[in-house]
Amino acid sequence: MKKIIFASFILISITAAAQPAIGDLSPEITLKDLKGNPVSLSSLKGKVVLIDFWASWCGPCRRANKHLVSIYPSLKNKGFEIYGISIDEDTNDWKKAVTADKSHWVHVNENGGWNAPVATQWKIDQIPTNYLLDQQGKIIARDLEGRELEKAVKALLKK
Amino acid sequence: MKKIIFLLLLVIAASTLRAQFTRASIQASGLTCAMCSRAIDNALKELPFMETVKPDIKNSMFALVFKQGQEADVDAIRKAIEDAGFFVAKFTITGNFTNTAIKNDAHIAIAGKEYHFLDVKDQVLNGEKSLVLVDKNFLTANAFKKYSTATSMQCIKTGKAGSCCEKAGLAAGTRVYHVTI
Repeated sequence: MKKIIFASFILISITAAAQPAIGDLSPEITLKDLKGNPVSLSSLKGKVVLIDFWASWCGPCRRANKHLVSIYPSLKNKGFEIYGISIDEDTNDWKKAVTADKSHWVHVNENGGWNAPVATQWKIDQIPTNYLLDQQGKIIARDLEGRELEKAVKALLKK
Repeated sequence: MKKIIFLLLLVIAASTLRAQFTRASIQASGLTCAMCSRAIDNALKELPFMETVKPDIKNSMFALVFKQGQEADVDAIRKAIEDAGFFVAKFTITGNFTNTAIKNDAHIAIAGKEYHFLDVKDQVLNGEKSLVLVDKNFLTANAFKKYSTATSMQCIKTGKAGSCCEKAGLAAGTRVYHVTI
């Protein structure tokens, strides 16, 4: 009985762990990249980071990728990185999409689609969803796109 | 022994009656991208007869595969999509047929269900075939308008048999699936 109570406490505390919010320090994420090597979000500390939740079959995500591809090279040189989390269940689809989009940033994936632990922890209900982190890993903004995103990244890079 | 053979035959008959349709492809529409929503994916996966749900970006469709031997309920699928905040714009079901004769604008029983074929040539279906559902709310309003004029029967409006069908042995209120090829 005690065990059950203990287990349910753990469950409750996990579900009560709120979705990361603006102003919070981002929780650590470690997922496998295209080659199967684990990549931690914390390994990008010191850079301005865009956490980008997407999938190969998500049209709006692919269109957003196109824009990111166009701004990425010049911003990367100034200290910007993208941590792209795909919720594809089919990893071949994921890899094909990365190749097709020519998106040369950090790509990671976790099995389980919408119900993958990372998607659940971040309460991802629709994609694309993104979070912009400053150099210390603090969440500055959510769901910025296009010019707005570019402006925000540039402002953070000047800090 | 006779009983066993009878039971066996019954099982075989029942299994051919079920599992008529093996998969479906559905286009869902709404104000936002339907495939980009967790709600619709979860709602479809929660259906007891659903094996896999896979978004297909090329055709902006969901490819659904049903569990083997389980009867798919297209009305439950439509409801799941609507409850998730979207509507069905196109719904195609695929299954295997063996010498199934169909006629235009007539009710035909297939695997224990009533189908009403619209805008088709009289023909015999064999092998894997796909049917497009043209019942209200299974396609866009404009497309429905087109099919609703393809028959004078009332059932196209409700998806259910009218009292006029009782002469033909079809109880009023029986679900009639309106389809085309």
